[in-house]
Amino acid sequence: MKKSLGSLLLGKWDTPTVVAVAIGAALFGVLMNYGSITVFTNTRLTTAMLVPVIVGGLFGALPAAVACFFGNVFADLLGGWGYWFDWSTGNAVLGFLVGMLPVYGANIKEGKFDIKHAAIFAVVAVLANMLAFGVVTPIMTVLLYGGELTITFMQSFAATLSNITVLVVAGIPLLFALARRYAKGTNLSRE
Amino acid sequence: MKDKFLINVVPGNTFLHQLTGTTKVRLFVVLLVFITMSFDLRLILPIFVLTWIGIISAKPNWKQVKVIMSVVIFFNLLNIVLFYVANPTVGEYWCNNLTIIGQLNNYFVFPIETFWYLFVRLIKMLTNFTVSLWFITTITPSEFAAGLYSLGVPYKICTVVSLGFRYIPDIARDYENIKISMQLRGVEMDAKRTGIRERLKQMVLILVPLIITSFDRVQTIANGMDLRGYGRLKKRSYYCEHEPTRADRIIQAITLVLFLFSIGYIISVNVWPPQTHMWCPIIWR
Repeated sequence: MKKSLGSLLLGKWDTPTVVAVAIGAALFGVLMNYGSITVFTNTRLTTAMLVPVIVGGLFGALPAAVACFFGNVFADLLGGWGYWFDWSTGNAVLGFLVGMLPVYGANIKEGKFDIKHAAIFAVVAVLANMLAFGVVTPIMTVLLYGGELTITFMQSFAATLSNITVLVVAGIPLLFALARRYAKGTNLSRE
Repeated sequence: MKDKFLINVVPGNTFLHQLTGTTKVRLFVVLLVFITMSFDLRLILPIFVLTWIGIISAKPNWKQVKVIMSVVIFFNLLNIVLFYVANPTVGEYWCNNLTIIGQLNNYFVFPIETFWYLFVRLIKMLTNFTVSLWFITTITPSEFAAGLYSLGVPYKICTVVSLGFRYIPDIARDYENIKISMQLRGVEMDAKRTGIRERLKQMVLILVPLIITSFDRVQTIANGMDLRGYGRLKKRSYYCEHEPTRADRIIQAITLVLFLFSIGYIISVNVWPPQTHMWCPIIWR
């Protein structure tokens, strides 16, 4: 079943996708608050970064981005450190790029995820973090909050490093595990 | 931790609870813009006071509020200290002036402007928090979705918000349960006794079952929604949304005024000329 690039990026917004994005956002919010270690002011080594990996792997890039954006808003809502929509936007971009798994052929639902996909995933994770927190977030910071770039850059640097660590060290084994889990159910063919 | 969630599913009976979702979401969004746009204490302080009055009038569960409040104050103070350490002369950027009243060494100087900036920042963060506390204690997930829908957000996104909002307590409870059962099996979770690598490993131990239980739910919920005809039509109405009352109209009018003021402020102060300084009453020249 061949899908166009556009539909792979946008995802299919049927009911399971909506629910998965919602659960993903809630999970992101909870993990951002409780499943993380503070490394720098407002920056955490957080397992929440695994949410876009899963949502992206299963449902596509845009659902991952939406889950990240609202996940960050939920986290802000619960955490009480103020609303930082520049970071929400950065996270959405990151979620979109990290969630592009189906675009380069990895298909978690059919159990397709091998070393090649893992390598591409790692490279994309590094580039996505640099783009999201090195470029997009500072631009949004200037647009929305005006200035304070020293601290934003220091935060981005810490966030980039910790996110890459989480994505590569925990994300890749998780993807392998999920792919194996789904592969069990796919020796049936559609008639 | 499970005491820390203030999300309510059943609407309460105070003045703020009785407003429609549309009114509350609009007021919330405008207040967020209002708080975000400036570092001006003259604008922030009234909102701080008013949201406190709102929170008190909504009669929240004070035990929960106290717990979450102390955590928030602690983290914000910590952040302020880190901000100071990151750049002790940050006040110069905001007040165009630096009055040093003492110094520890060449790096750690004590300029009044920096302390002023950090103080305003602290109040701003706390106001942000009171704005969201007011909002969380008075809104239900369905009202939240209804309010967003009234702003023209596609209803599938609204569903994401209301469903996610609704499931945060469930997921937090699962997290807590998994953590307790892991501790029962002898996994050390205390931050003081384990290193960062160990803790990361243990987090993965909690995370895998958490992710599996959370995403296992997806199909069940989606089936339930499909059976009730979700997503069949292009439009959607919300059961929780009632006709606007007089109070709603008054609050919406106030919201509109605040919104127009914010737009004016953003255009005249933030966009051109670019905002590089804040209101700073203590300038020694």
